[in-house]
Amino acid sequence: MNTIIKKSIIALFSLSLLFSCTNDFLELEPSFALKEKDVFSKYSSAHSALVGAYDQLSSPNFDGLYNPIMSDIMGEDVMINSEDNWNWFTDVYQMNLLPTFSYINSPWWIGYKIIFDANQIIENIDNIPDATQEQKDNLEGQARALRAYVNLKLVQMYAPAYKRNNMAPSIMIVDQVLPIEAEDPGRSPIQDVYDLIESDLLKAVELLPELEPNDIDEGFISKKGAHALLARTYLDQEKWEGAKEHAQNAYKDLDLMTANEMYGGFMSRNSETIFTIAYTEEDNNVYLSLPSFYWPVGGYSSMRANDKFIEKFSTEDLRFFFFLKEEEIDENRNLILKFGHNRIVGNAERIVIRASEMYLIEAECEAELGNYSKAQDALHVIQSRAYPGVPKSKNVGQELIDEVLLERRKELFGEGFRWHDIKRRQLPFVREGDHWVKFNFTADDYDYYRMTFPIPQSEIDVNTNISEADQNVGY
Amino acid sequence: MKNLLLFFLLQSFTTAALFAQDRIVRGKIVDEKGEELPIVNIKVLGSNIVTVSDMGGNYQITVPSDTSTLVYTFIGMATQYERVNNRSIVNVTMEQDLQHLEEVMVVAYGTTTKEAFTGSAETIDDEVLKDRAVTSFDKALQGTTPGLMVSSSSGQPGSAATIRIRGIGSISAGSAPLYVLDGVPMTGSITDLNPNDIASITVLKDAAAASLYGSRAANGVILITTNQGKSGETKISLNSQFGVSSRISDGYALMNSSQIYEHSWRGLYNRALNDNLSAEEAIEHAHENVEGVVGFNPFSSERPLGDDGKVIDGTHLHTNTNWRDELYKNGLVNNHNLNISGGNDLTKVFFSLGYYDDTGIILSSDYTRYTSKVNVSHKINDFLTAGVNSMLSYSKTNAPPNGSQGSNPVRSVEVINAASPVYNDDGTYNWDNKAVLDFNPVGLAEKDKYLYETKRGVLNSYLNVDFTKSLSFKTTLGIDNSINKGLNYYNREHGNGEGVDGRSVMSQSDNLTWNVSNLFNYNLYRENFSVTLLAGQEAAGQSIASLSSGVTGFAVDGYYDLLWGSQPSKPSSSTTEWTLVSYLGQAKFDIKDRYYFSGSIRTDGSSRFGQNHKYGVFYSIGGGWRINNENFMRDISWINHLKIRSSYGTSGNNNIGNYSFLGLYGGGADYSGFPGLTPTQLDNQDIRWEKISNFNVGFESRLVRNLTLSAEYYIRHSDGLLYSKPLSASKGIGSVLTNLGAMDNKGFEVAMSYDIKTNSDFYSTIGFNISTNKNTVLKLTTEQVVSGTKLIEEGASLYQFYLTEWAGVDPSNGKPLWYVNYTGQDGTELPASAFQDPNGSDRLVTSEYGDAERVRLGTALPTVFGGVNYSVGYKNLELSLLFSYSYGNKVYNHDYATNMHDGQAPGNNLAADALNAWTPDNIYTNVPRYVVNNTDRGNEMSSRFLEDGSYVRLKNVTLAYRLPSRLCNKMGISGLRAYVSGENLWTLTNYKGFDPEMSINGVTGSNIPGVKVVSTGFNLDF
Repeated sequence: MNTIIKKSIIALFSLSLLFSCTNDFLELEPSFALKEKDVFSKYSSAHSALVGAYDQLSSPNFDGLYNPIMSDIMGEDVMINSEDNWNWFTDVYQMNLLPTFSYINSPWWIGYKIIFDANQIIENIDNIPDATQEQKDNLEGQARALRAYVNLKLVQMYAPAYKRNNMAPSIMIVDQVLPIEAEDPGRSPIQDVYDLIESDLLKAVELLPELEPNDIDEGFISKKGAHALLARTYLDQEKWEGAKEHAQNAYKDLDLMTANEMYGGFMSRNSETIFTIAYTEEDNNVYLSLPSFYWPVGGYSSMRANDKFIEKFSTEDLRFFFFLKEEEIDENRNLILKFGHNRIVGNAERIVIRASEMYLIEAECEAELGNYSKAQDALHVIQSRAYPGVPKSKNVGQELIDEVLLERRKELFGEGFRWHDIKRRQLPFVREGDHWVKFNFTADDYDYYRMTFPIPQSEIDVNTNISEADQNVGY
Repeated sequence: MKNLLLFFLLQSFTTAALFAQDRIVRGKIVDEKGEELPIVNIKVLGSNIVTVSDMGGNYQITVPSDTSTLVYTFIGMATQYERVNNRSIVNVTMEQDLQHLEEVMVVAYGTTTKEAFTGSAETIDDEVLKDRAVTSFDKALQGTTPGLMVSSSSGQPGSAATIRIRGIGSISAGSAPLYVLDGVPMTGSITDLNPNDIASITVLKDAAAASLYGSRAANGVILITTNQGKSGETKISLNSQFGVSSRISDGYALMNSSQIYEHSWRGLYNRALNDNLSAEEAIEHAHENVEGVVGFNPFSSERPLGDDGKVIDGTHLHTNTNWRDELYKNGLVNNHNLNISGGNDLTKVFFSLGYYDDTGIILSSDYTRYTSKVNVSHKINDFLTAGVNSMLSYSKTNAPPNGSQGSNPVRSVEVINAASPVYNDDGTYNWDNKAVLDFNPVGLAEKDKYLYETKRGVLNSYLNVDFTKSLSFKTTLGIDNSINKGLNYYNREHGNGEGVDGRSVMSQSDNLTWNVSNLFNYNLYRENFSVTLLAGQEAAGQSIASLSSGVTGFAVDGYYDLLWGSQPSKPSSSTTEWTLVSYLGQAKFDIKDRYYFSGSIRTDGSSRFGQNHKYGVFYSIGGGWRINNENFMRDISWINHLKIRSSYGTSGNNNIGNYSFLGLYGGGADYSGFPGLTPTQLDNQDIRWEKISNFNVGFESRLVRNLTLSAEYYIRHSDGLLYSKPLSASKGIGSVLTNLGAMDNKGFEVAMSYDIKTNSDFYSTIGFNISTNKNTVLKLTTEQVVSGTKLIEEGASLYQFYLTEWAGVDPSNGKPLWYVNYTGQDGTELPASAFQDPNGSDRLVTSEYGDAERVRLGTALPTVFGGVNYSVGYKNLELSLLFSYSYGNKVYNHDYATNMHDGQAPGNNLAADALNAWTPDNIYTNVPRYVVNNTDRGNEMSSRFLEDGSYVRLKNVTLAYRLPSRLCNKMGISGLRAYVSGENLWTLTNYKGFDPEMSINGVTGSNIPGVKVVSTGFNLDF
């Protein structure tokens, strides 16, 4: 072949190389993520989106660890050790918080992320082509209940108490998916947030299916769960009738766990569980779990009980044995045996709502409503389990209410209630005894600002409708 | 100016006219040693008259006039100009051209001469890389090139430095330059390249130089050219180097065990007084609890401290651990290379083998690399040439984690106090300490494993077709594949693995990058002008597939394989890809060797952008004027070279990660055993390319033969900066990628070098370069963005520090003070805690950290930086020094803040500076009171820990000896050179930490500090 022909062939070949790319070449899609519009094109993936929202809820930086543990160390019954604890939560215990701390940031950001996830489900629910009406109702009901759960948590943490001033600025109301360009919401009045929570929960009660206790997966919010959350919501607002009624709906058909089961370490669901966070070792950092901090060995093991709190238990109260002095671990303070590990460190569910709390809400409401005997009955259900043979309370009026509130402390300590129980009733905050940071202030004192978290600096820095001037008092 | 020009022009014309008559000139040409030079080209300037010297160096030429100028050119020699001036014999001594290597320079998609180049580029030859005890070439570049900012942020052997060309071009898209290896753009790590294989490096800085790389050129381009075989005699050389590396400096002192014990006692005492205990009770409280807070009593007596909190005289001290000394050690560096190069007119081959090993300066940190390279080119026939450039490398490194976690040994030794022993009395490790319980860094170095392996193969093959003398075509295919393996093993007894009976995680990723380019090249040379045209197409892509899985529940210790664990953790795998398709063209004109013009255009389509913005078009234009070739300059003999040039052009940036424009739900959000999905990214189809426009003007010159001087000014304007704009939590996800704003980088660059040569035995060169860079954010869609220690706002630097301003310590109570800096913005009121500064600044201060407003406190970027080099040679000895410097940059010393915690983290070790803490007897101090479980917040982010990061550093010093050729001949070798070299031996700085050279954003991060290396070695040529 002569050179010219050879060169021409090569030239043609090279020219063809130049223009051989097609347009599809630049259209790539990830293998590890789904495009938004594909998620709601099938029920199975839409349901996975709901599971994903629960996953955020279970995160250690939200309800897996941060929220419950902070809710107790911002109280007076337990404390966190400042030694051998890697400095975890000590700022929270000292109630000396800055708006830049991750303790302040994480619940806020994760909370709103769960609300976003829930809003996506609520808005897309009618677009799922292959979902039955029951499936749609269940998805929407759970999404609304989740949204209400998170809103209630956030309003309790970042706003002053409803009782103090229900029109005070609280949190942002986000009841729909906001476009990026949409105006940032400001802080809504507390009342508006409670109204949204109430309407979400009422809708959830309506949508969620009526199931036999055996058919319920307590890892997700059921109709009972929605009732229970309504009871909590009304309790904050001192709507005693409503709270009572929904508390009763929530515990109906449930057997309380036995005293023996109570010693089981609160690590898995039992007969009285209404909602539990199904924390599994596969998808969580087990060190960042409640038992890792509470159980005396294994994890951080840095939670201690206050001596003055322990004095409030009768020695015949079985719950008295939740406390232990073990010199080798801590020569001065009491260890807590309530929350145990399951096989390995931190492999434990966290029980979020259980029937006992509902009985105590019932007792509190009945006492407030003047139905003392009903209140005494409900209270006795809880007291007598831990202290078989204890006589039924004869207290009435404020004394009865105080007794119920004390019983809440004894029954629910470590489960994330105390901080808000003080706050919702605007009780004085008194830390005495072997606390390493002591306080003594009432709702009228300036220091009461410590009972409310600051709005995170990260929100103030970006939100066009929340500025430094809108920050909570004291920060 | 204009008149002067005219005058010169007229003068040259008139003289030419007056004396126009032919004349014969003869002469002899020799080199510096007096040896005759054959085949020297001799030309009469401005005419076609040309001749060549004979074997004896003699020549004869007819010149048109007595004032004609003769131009002598010879490869490797400086071009010489001689005016005839009525002489008939003109003898010439030609000198070696030290700048010779720069004459032909590698540029985007080809080569050019330095004289003809219209862009701004710098060539660094292998001299700079030689003898350097560094794993990769990037670290050797510091201080060598104006406009190039290099910082090595970690002393981990094998880690790469951060390189920025002409400032930071982007906010959150990548700011790293594009590396091009032998003409093929690469994406992987550059630390796999053996510096020994590199022949030269070209740094492309402006649009005319880099725009041809389009969307990948936004941050400048670094072209790496590897050694090629040369025809002629086979050359074999062996280079060996041995070195000892150690920590670059001692840093600030930490407390010893007596000091921390006394100080903790004082902190407890203060705490008790705070809690309203009496002085006696407080003393008792402190005695009782001090051992608990420190963790250990380092003394032999039960109660070693007196009631004044001081050690009782004569008390025996049994523990005083210097944790730094336990972790840090000397590293051994071994660097051995074998090069073989040779070939004939048809085939040329370069082959190399390399071995680099560094045992690291801390326990369990090391690096080993094996490399091999083959570059072959073969001329198949008179119009086809094919070749292959290949590289193989295998590296293995142990690299413990960094950051603030307990498993970072570098941080652990700073925070564990000296009273805590490393070993128990029985010789086992002591795992107890108050800072990082169960994370004894010495024990973990032995028991845990962080092992990473990389196998990499790069193969570039090409075929070149010369259709005619002027038209050629080149097709290149490049494949770059690296397979990375990682093993993290946490032992079952202590540290991270304790709670799960040990954990082992293995990960593997397969990273494949490919690149195809097809280019036509057309050259046309005419008497007075030449044209070079380039047109073609390029396509590239990358696919990274990764897989990781782990197990827990180990029964035996020290076996890492997954089969030893009983409990599988959730495995994961994913693949991520991008593609790029481009068309490009370039034209260059050269008129009379005086006027140069260039223009380029490129269009890129990228998979990383949505439907509406997939394609971007980028262009450049440039021009140069070589003034010394003008007739009117001919008489000015002291100007050997003078050129001014300017360019303007655009480039883009797509370093934003794949799929960034899609709204996505990510998998893996599992709960309760069910698979879960969760939104991970907001949809934004509108994001588009960052557009960078680049203006450059500069001159380069060589004066009085020995002085080169160049200066440049640039404006780099970036628009549509891609930034993860922070959003309100109400939008669901904390940020969305947007084209947020605009930014400018402006700067001057000046470089100078001067050769001093007294005779052929003695020479020396001094070089100096200085660069300025001013980074200014011009436009933001939001008013301000606060992130960490920084504030991004219009009119300020991207790395502007924004911190509360430290006002010292209140002498009356020892509490920290910050300036209130109340502005009344945002409608806030003057905080109630504000009061007049007791230290007399006349400003308002507060002891409530939250009440002080943050202020702007300078930038992490230096105002000026650069280098100075000096080399001096006498006969066969050569000494060279390279300094680098940086001035005006601020550093937030996070590490130091951790060691000045004022009792907020009781039991954690303190800097010795903390001994100066406030006490009633020491009220005028800058260190607040020390209180156990302190809530004063003195160590929160503030200007207390912001330091001046300026420094001057002796980057390298080398003393080399070359064996005289006479002796070499006797020994049967062609050359032997031996040297001693030191890296980072000396630093001048006020910075408190180990090393002021750190991550570019100016915040310390508990990384392994920089290293200094003393090494010795030899180069042997056969």
